[in-house]
Formats: sequence, structure tokens, C-alpha cells
Amino acid sequence: MSNITAYKCKSCGLIMYPYHDRCLNCKKREFEEIEPSNNGKLLTFTIIEQLPWGMDERGRILGVVEFDNGVKALGLIDVEQPKLEMKLKRGWGTVREIGGVKVKGLIFEKA
Amino acid sequence: MRPVFVAGAGMIPFERQDENTLGDILAGAGLAALDDVDLGKHEVGAVYLGNMASGLFNHQVSVASALVDRLALIPAAAERIENGPASGGSAVKNGVLAVASGYYDVVLVVGGEKMRDVIGPKATDIVAAMTHPHAEYIYGLTLPAMAGMFTRLYMEKYGVTREHLAMVAIKNQENGITNPYAHIQMKITMEGILEHPQSHINSPIIADPLHLYDCCPVSDGGAAVVLVSEEIAKTLKKPMVQIAGFGQATDTHTLAEREDPTELKAVRLAAVQAFSRAGLKPKDIDVAELHDAFTILEIAESEQAGFFKMGEGAKAVERGDTRIGGKLPINPSGGLKARGHPVGATGVAQIVDLVWQLRGEAGENQVEGAKNGFSLNFGGFGNNVLAFVLRRIS
Amino acid sequence: MDLEVEAYLRPPEMDMPPYPPKVITLATGGKMVVRQATREDVPTILQAVKPTIEIERDFYDIVGVRVYAELLGWYRHRMRDMFCLIGQIDGYLVGQVNTRAYSEKLDISLHTLAIERGLRIGAHLFAAKMEYSFEYLGREEVLITAESPIGFRRWMIEYELELREGQHELGGAAPYALTRELYYKHKDRLVAGERPVPDKLMEVAEREIKVVSEQDIVEKILGAKRRIKR
Ligand SMILES: CC(C)(COP(=O)(O)OP(=O)(O)OC[C@H]1O[C@@H](n2cnc3c(N)ncnc32)[C@H](O)[C@@H]1OP(=O)(O)O)[C@@H](O)C(=O)NCCC(=O)NCCS
Ligand SMILES: [Zn+2]
Repeated sequence: MSNITAYKCKSCGLIMYPYHDRCLNCKKREFEEIEPSNNGKLLTFTIIEQLPWGMDERGRILGVVEFDNGVKALGLIDVEQPKLEMKLKRGWGTVREIGGVKVKGLIFEKA
Repeated sequence: MRPVFVAGAGMIPFERQDENTLGDILAGAGLAALDDVDLGKHEVGAVYLGNMASGLFNHQVSVASALVDRLALIPAAAERIENGPASGGSAVKNGVLAVASGYYDVVLVVGGEKMRDVIGPKATDIVAAMTHPHAEYIYGLTLPAMAGMFTRLYMEKYGVTREHLAMVAIKNQENGITNPYAHIQMKITMEGILEHPQSHINSPIIADPLHLYDCCPVSDGGAAVVLVSEEIAKTLKKPMVQIAGFGQATDTHTLAEREDPTELKAVRLAAVQAFSRAGLKPKDIDVAELHDAFTILEIAESEQAGFFKMGEGAKAVERGDTRIGGKLPINPSGGLKARGHPVGATGVAQIVDLVWQLRGEAGENQVEGAKNGFSLNFGGFGNNVLAFVLRRIS
Repeated sequence: MDLEVEAYLRPPEMDMPPYPPKVITLATGGKMVVRQATREDVPTILQAVKPTIEIERDFYDIVGVRVYAELLGWYRHRMRDMFCLIGQIDGYLVGQVNTRAYSEKLDISLHTLAIERGLRIGAHLFAAKMEYSFEYLGREEVLITAESPIGFRRWMIEYELELREGQHELGGAAPYALTRELYYKHKDRLVAGERPVPDKLMEVAEREIKVVSEQDIVEKILGAKRRIKR
């Protein structure tokens, strides 16, 4: 099971994540819920040295991944030396603690 | 539609202002603009206040009502306009619409922010609150990080190098030295921020590939303009500066959903609209104030707004075309890099700087003979952008 | 002075190999010489510290008043095993850092005081005193605490400091430690400087520790009140 839900427009086929109330392309409102595939490639990334208050760490890598089925999403990149176009596999785990609550999100590892 | 003119323009220095409250900053900017014009019997009918996050930075809301009270502009209409880092541009736009429509003859537009009430990492968090709550924010995504992801692709695609980025920073900080309103008034050198083997310690990575000197600072500050109808503008002494056109466009909230993440669609559309409404072309522009919150943005915007072909913006910087005295001076004020970026103030400050340029009042940073100016205020990470074309009517 | 009594009051002193001076190229391209201050330099340094004592911003007052006392204590032999490094640009004093040895293994970082802002002088000088403790004095650990929010963010996160039990000598917030291992891990990213310092630069630095006027120091820290005419 994946932990995020993406949406495929039933009318024009556009794949969207996160949720939009109307299709970004044709403005229709019916979507098929789809899960991102297990693997994808890294479209871009950054290594953050100055994180927001409450995140006392350095060098967090975030990147945008395009899954094999076309879903695109930002996630934490748990890889030593990321490279553009690198193949990654999807994982899920705690990405941040906000107000004492552990928040979960996408964590990518080397495929 | 009636033509709209800038009758008064004013600013207070951008810097860390521990001594002033948000109210002081907004009132100070408002007075600076009001003092710049003799309105005679005319009263300010409406106030538009650009401010992004007084609730979060200063624990204060309804700040526009507080402002008219301080400035004794009661019973003028007043509201705060929030559009992220483009709040200032949006406030100006609303002022323009109000005068153009004929509903008001005199409008005061103020932009201001006091970000330094909180410490740096908290400001980073508040600014990051504009990202998508569950698809971006939770990962610790910051604005510099969005810019970092954008920069990586832009460098790759168009051959922009770290030298190019550093050239933008050096130019803008140099312009800032002679701008008495600029937050950063310090000369930096290629050796000190890039070439010296230890320069990475002076200019550490903020969000790779962006380093400290690729980023704007976090500032307090305010700026304001008085907008009037043509009828009133004609009675005033200073050169007439018209807001000849504005444009505004939006784009997807998340960076991930952009079809081509190196394209700043909203910048392009906003610029096209502003030029067509003004009846001018990019080549007619003598001076531009662009939203260089990150050095890459000055280059990317200069291309996507139509001043240079894609991939040529960096070369223009290299040739010195964008310096004061060059073919198209960009950010003679120092831009966000040096003037600073009190988020809600920026869009208004850009208009103030252009007005000074077009009136010939820009002092040491004057672009000789400037007649037409362009500004671009970039909200979110390019998901809500405003562009303005200003023209001096001789 | 009653030297017999004085002998009781003076703390014993550890031997410390000297800190070899270095030069750091700043973002401006300017050169900052970092070198060890001697006891004889103290009265001059105090001139620069004095005006900070009344500056509330960023707790300069607390830091200033304590640095004043520490330097004076060291000058008059009431402070044990302290060292002080200074930064100079064109001879002008731009900042000081000081640390006290607790034992052969442990140093206690006292204060970082920069009187020129926006050039990361504080960060460079802080790094220099860590360099001295680990690379020249051979310490295993340096205890650190912060008295201003800027210091807190910089030191704790940049160096991944480890929280320690007990108290720091300054008696304030919790003590953190920089270990030898963490120092070397972060050294390349944080510690700048080249040796030897070119003769000319060194000569200017050693000839005189210049101190700008009190008003200039206050303006450098608080920002000058802008005089704008248009
Ligand atoms: C890059 C950044 C993290 C640096 O923060 P920092 O190193 O903690 O800065 P400090 O608060 O320690 O600043 C100390 C001094 O360094 C200088 N300085 C800080 N940031 C600077 C920058 N980006 N460029 C040049 N000088 C800077 C200033 O002189 C500052 O003095 P001040 O306190 O009088 O303003 C911060 O400037 C930042 O977050 N910038 C981006 C803001 C942003 O994203 N805005 C919204 C964009 S839409
Ligand atoms: Zn559709």
C-alpha cells in the first residue's frame, strides 16, 4: 500500500498530486484515485543547510520524484550522493516533528 | 478606465528595526509618501496595505485599520492585502484598480513587514508556511530550498554557473552601497564569495546550489505610494509618472506539478499583460526592478519577462548589460539582495524606486534619462506574480 | 603591591603552546588577521569592549560586561589559564574570542564578541578558538553555552554540539560540548584561515591594535541611524 493518493482525471487522464477540486487541465471533477508506483526518478533536489525552527539538523535532502506511472511528488531523499535522473524507490516514515507530533511522509531510497 | 499616476512615493530604510513596531514602520512609510506630495484639498479615499504575515511575525491583525487610525485618514476605506511575498505588488494593483475604476481619486498604498521580531529559523518557518501544507511544508521545505531545486535545473539547462549567480549578487550589493534605504550596504568580491578556496566558509550553502550571498536577507521595512487620477496629477509639480500597465498571473502551488519546472509561466504571462496594457515592449524599458529573492531569479525573470532570450540572461549579466550604465540596468536599487526583502514591502518599494528613477531623483543610483520602468514582484515560488510598467509623461 | 600576598591570589598557570596566527579572506575580499592576544594587549582590547556594555541588542551588554571582567581578571592574574584571540582588519580590532582551560582535556569556551557585523567575523573567530583548543592545545572537549539567540543557532546546529549534564561555568543555559571528533568532522566547512600570515599583514597587525571610536563601535553593532535627504 502506498501512503499518498494521487488523482487521475477520468475525462482527460491528467495525473495530479496533491488533490485539486477540479482537473487542472479540463476542469472536470471526477478522478480515479491512484497510487504512485514503487519506483521513480529524481527530477531535481536540494540539500538544505538552514532548516526552519524546530528542525535542528543540517544537510537534509529534498527532491521532486517522478514515479514510473507519472505521479510527481516532493519527498525526503535518503541517499548519500543524489544525482539527477537517479532511480529511487518509495518509502514512508516520519519526516518531521511538529508540535511534538510525528508527521509522516515520503522517504526515497536508492532503487 | 482612467489612467493612474503616482503622485507621492516614500520609503523608510530597510534594515533590522528593533526600535520600531510594525505600526511605526507602516506609519513611517505612509507618511514618507504623503509628505512627498501636496494633495491640497484632496483626501485619501482608500488605503491598501500589503503585508504578508503580521499575525505570525508580530501577533497583530487588522493592521490596515490600525494604520488609518495612526495616520488620521479616518474614514478612508482600508484593508490589508495578503499575497505572500507579492503582497506589496497586489496592494499596488488594488490601488490602481480603485483609481482606474473611478471609485477613488486618491489612494494610499503601503507595503510593510517586520520580520525580525522572530529569530532567523522562525522567519524561515513562517515564510515556508506558503508552501503546500502536506505535499511540501511537512518535509521542511523552505523558500530557499524551492529556489535551490529550481536553480539546479536552470543551471543544467541553460549553462548558468555559480559565477553568474555571484555576479548578480556582487552587482546588486554594489548598487546597495549607494542606496541609503538598502539593508545590506557592503561590497562583496568574487574572491571573497566564490574564488578563494575557503570562500565557502564566508558564503556557506543555504540550500544547495544556493549559498548565503545568493539569498536576500530577512528585513524589516516599509514603502508607500500615493496614487491619483489624471485630473489631480496634472495639478502637481513633480514629473508625472503613470502606472501604464500591470499584469498578474498564477501557477501551480507545488513545484512538482509544473510541467516544465524551469519555466516561470506566471512571470511570462504577467509581463506580457503588463506590456500589452501599457502599449510598450521590453525593448522600450530603461530600468527594471526584478524580484531577486535569489540571484537565479534575476536572471530567470529577465529572460522570462522578455528582456533577453532564454539562456541569454546570464550572458547579459556577464557583459555588464544589467549594471547602472549598461543597456538595461536591473535592480539599480540593489534589489531584494541588497535593499532587503521585508516581504510585504517589496512590491511597493520596487514601484517607489522606479518612480524615483523616472523622476530623476535616484541620486547616485540614477539611470540617466530613464523614462520607462518595469517591476516584477514574485509571490510564493512563482505561483502568483505581478508585473508593472511605469512611464514618465513629459 | 604585596607580592607575598599576591602570590597566594594568583592562580597557577598551565603551559600553552602559542596559537600560530592566520589570515582569513572575507566576503569583501578584505583580510582578517587572527592572532593570540597577550596580557599586555588587554587594556587596548578593553577600550573596544567598553561601549558594548550598554548595548541591549543581541545581549551584547551581557557578553560585553562579562568579556570585560574576564579580560580584566586575566590581565590582573585573577583568571586562570585563559586565552584570547583577536581579529584585526588593517590593524583595526574587529572581534575577540576567549576560552579558559579547565584541565589538560577540557576547555571552557567563554565568549565571542564581534564589533563588526555582517562579515561572519563572529563565526570565523569562534572557529579559530575551537581550532586552538583541539589542534594546538590537544583538548578532548570544549564546553559551550550560548547567551544570545544568534550564538545558539550558529554553534549548536552548525557543529552538532552534544548536550551535557551539569552546568557551564557561566551559570546560564545548559552546557553543550564540541568533541574532538565533531570538530574534525565539521572543520572543512567552518574553519578558515591560511598560514603563515604574509609579513606585511602581520606587521600591520602587530604594530598596533587600532580601535575605532566608541560611537563607531555602537554604530557598527546597532546600524547607523540613516540620514536620508532626497
Ligand atoms: C540566508 C539566510 C538564512 C541567512 O541568515 P543568517 O546567516 O542567519 O543571518 P543573520 O541573521 O545571522 O545575519 C547577520 C548579518 O549578516 C548579514 N546577512 C544576513 N543574511 C544575508 C544575506 N542573505 N546576504 C547578505 N548579507 C546577509 C546581515 O548584515 C546581517 O545583519 P543584520 O542582523 O543587521 O541584518 C537568511 O538571510 C534567509 O533566510 N534569507 C532568505 C529569506 C527568504 O527566503 N525570503 C523570502 C523569499 S520569497
Ligand atoms: Zn481533466
